[in-house]
Amino acid sequence: MLPFILRRALGALFTLWLAATLAFLALRLAPIDAIALQLTLSGATESQIAARRAALGLDLPLGAQYVSMLSGLLRGDLGVSLINGRPVGALIAEQLDSTLILAIGALGVGAVLGVALGVGAALGGVALRQLCEALIALTLATPIYWLGTLAIYLFAVGLGVLPSVSRGNSLQALILPCGVLGVSLSGSIGQVAAAALREAKSAAFVQVARAKGLPARLIVWRHMLRAHSGALISLIGLQAGFLIGGAVVTEALFTRRGVGQLLLNAVNGRDYPVVQGVVLLSALAYSLLSSLTDILAAWRDPRLRAS
Amino acid sequence: MLRNFLRAFALLSCSSVIFGLCMGSIVLSNLLTRPATAAQPAASRIVYGLTLLPSGFDPHINASAELGIPLRSVYDTLVYRDPTTQDFVAGLAERWEISPDGLVYTFYLRRGVRFHDGEPFNALAVAANLERITAPETRSQKAAFLLGSFERYIVLDEYTIQLVLKSPFAPLLDSLSQVYLGIASPKALQEYGNDLYQLHQVGTGPYQMVEFIPGDYILLRRNPIYRWGPPFYRTDNPAPVEEIEFRFFTDPATRAPALESGAVDIIGELPPLDALAVARRDDIVLVPQPIPGMPLQFFFNTAKAPTDRLEVRRAVITATNRVAIIDSVFQQLSPVAYGPLTAVTPFYEPQIKQYYPHNREVARQTLTELGYRDNDSDGVLDLNGAPLSLILIVPTWGYAPQVAQRLQSQWRDQGIQAELRQVPNLAGLLAAVQSGDYHLVAFNDFGADPSLLNNFYLSEARNNFMRVSNANLDQWLRQAVQTDDTAQRQNFYTGIQGLIMDQALILPIRDYVNLNAHNKRVSGLAFDAYGWFPLLANLSFEGTP
Repeated sequence: MLPFILRRALGALFTLWLAATLAFLALRLAPIDAIALQLTLSGATESQIAARRAALGLDLPLGAQYVSMLSGLLRGDLGVSLINGRPVGALIAEQLDSTLILAIGALGVGAVLGVALGVGAALGGVALRQLCEALIALTLATPIYWLGTLAIYLFAVGLGVLPSVSRGNSLQALILPCGVLGVSLSGSIGQVAAAALREAKSAAFVQVARAKGLPARLIVWRHMLRAHSGALISLIGLQAGFLIGGAVVTEALFTRRGVGQLLLNAVNGRDYPVVQGVVLLSALAYSLLSSLTDILAAWRDPRLRAS
Repeated sequence: MLRNFLRAFALLSCSSVIFGLCMGSIVLSNLLTRPATAAQPAASRIVYGLTLLPSGFDPHINASAELGIPLRSVYDTLVYRDPTTQDFVAGLAERWEISPDGLVYTFYLRRGVRFHDGEPFNALAVAANLERITAPETRSQKAAFLLGSFERYIVLDEYTIQLVLKSPFAPLLDSLSQVYLGIASPKALQEYGNDLYQLHQVGTGPYQMVEFIPGDYILLRRNPIYRWGPPFYRTDNPAPVEEIEFRFFTDPATRAPALESGAVDIIGELPPLDALAVARRDDIVLVPQPIPGMPLQFFFNTAKAPTDRLEVRRAVITATNRVAIIDSVFQQLSPVAYGPLTAVTPFYEPQIKQYYPHNREVARQTLTELGYRDNDSDGVLDLNGAPLSLILIVPTWGYAPQVAQRLQSQWRDQGIQAELRQVPNLAGLLAAVQSGDYHLVAFNDFGADPSLLNNFYLSEARNNFMRVSNANLDQWLRQAVQTDDTAQRQNFYTGIQGLIMDQALILPIRDYVNLNAHNKRVSGLAFDAYGWFPLLANLSFEGTP
């Protein structure tokens, strides 16, 4: 088991390095940098802009900038924002709790709803099956901003039961954003759950269970879902990427503070260190989640350790 | 069976413990960091919706216009611009003198003014602010450049300070009246440093910053001892608002619902259709506010054929039905723009309206005279085998995409083809402009002094998107910022506006109007001379707390 865990940890480290490097390159290959952007309307001259770049080390060769970024990362230093001069670590830390709660809540809603939709679409009667399949297609096809705007009009303006502004971490403030993000997450989870259950329907162990005369409910919950729980757990873990993208939109819609808004602003302002910090954080979350689910799966199923 | 059950149970309990720990630590950290001040809202508290989320909120460092909406009332400036007359009036300086050569400004400061932290305001405080703004390590993005040719200051006595310039700079008073040159408490600047001061700002204004949670909200509370405001701040306000909470509504679609559901009391930048819809309600008041500066416009690239030809540019403007665009995109809530400055900008020249009235026949005739014919009958005019096709760089903000689509369909009827290239942000726009591969690009800037034109129309300007080089224009633009004689400046700017339109350098579309609305819990919403910044001291609370 230990070699497996070590292998996974090395893989995660490689992912982190790759993410940091790609974020570094992608931003610096763009033609306009943060300084040009900040000063374009100020009336600053070329020499003033060049002086500011030099003061920030942005005029050094790419290689030197890359080495200094990597050595900073190794020391745990993510750098400071080019726009407001504050340390990137502090900027992320003060937004993290808000996004984490949104993500965990949305993941919960998405997982429950997705599995329910999947069970309905794979095993329900004709009407239920068609309804669930239609709902899965609908949630997959509806963009979050549209779903969110509808939800605001319905629950905040029309019924007046929930706030359109998600402030803090109270249940009331979280229902709409977690619900909206969770619903749009449920489509892909439902799709995978339905496919897995359809496949399981014809599996030998299910037929045996059916032949034994077990009730259908027991077959679904005790046998089919459990057999595919590994795949489902991995899938749900891998939604971290989607969650970060979704959080950007959801946070803007419900004017909720969070890492998503921080990232959006940083990208628009070419604030390299902040973008790198958030990208690294997402890569870290992604690697941690996928490593954890892999290790859990390997612990349950020793066959996986060899691969 | 039992083993399986135990395993599953263990797995479940492990994950719930992890989940519980996460949630618990988050809740705990919230409890620990939530300051006690937020617990008791004041008698009259309202919510003001901001529409952008600036990455930095320090007025001396950052350049966003959005930061001024709350901060205009946290700071006082040495002078103010009266919103009605556009004249400069006393602020923290009771009066001022300008030397005949325009190089020395002497400010006589008001006595008895205190910062929100109790520190006294005096010439040393002004000096400390100038030091901070001009220090290279502050990396000011706007304030330092607003000071123009500022060289040094001289503190003459406790309440007199001189600003010495390297060369005459007429926009200096305009600069000093802006929130970016608001005077901050030297003690607070010292205490928090450049990175943290934005979270703990201390000025002398009618409202003080109580709390700022980045990305979440800013809370201002009324300054009870404030009595040194400019003449246009109400002193007889019967029910000033005690506390104002600013929140961010970056998605335009969320603004009207927030107002209708009562989540905000005041909000700006409503989409035109939403503005009309909310204005029909009895409980909401629409406050359209014209903004001085440049209109929504397209700059012509004069370095790329066919817009390098003056006649082609003139024909394109004449072919454009701006009234129809205003009607459909802006629901008649914005005036048509005719020149490089909006009608509410100081030194605006109304004669500019005579240029290029919409006329399809004239446009067609001009192009025919240039040799354009539809030789291949594809509906697009050609010259020497090349179709009359224009590339437009269209930012996704400011309703530019909707306007560009109207232009495309209007021009199509007249044989002009338009290719729209959308850019998602300013960086994308600048990159597209840098490539030089465009005929028109939509862009504008705001300000109450027409010297903002210099950033665009001087031949060496960074934002010379037109790639224009006109000796007369260069000379007039430079001279207009070197004289503080109003009549002379008016002459220069009349000439400049006429020249820009005579040369058909821009296609003006609409004067910018900020569509604000508020509910009936407040009254008296009015804005300063720059159009964006509300006079919070003049707001009255009409609701029940």
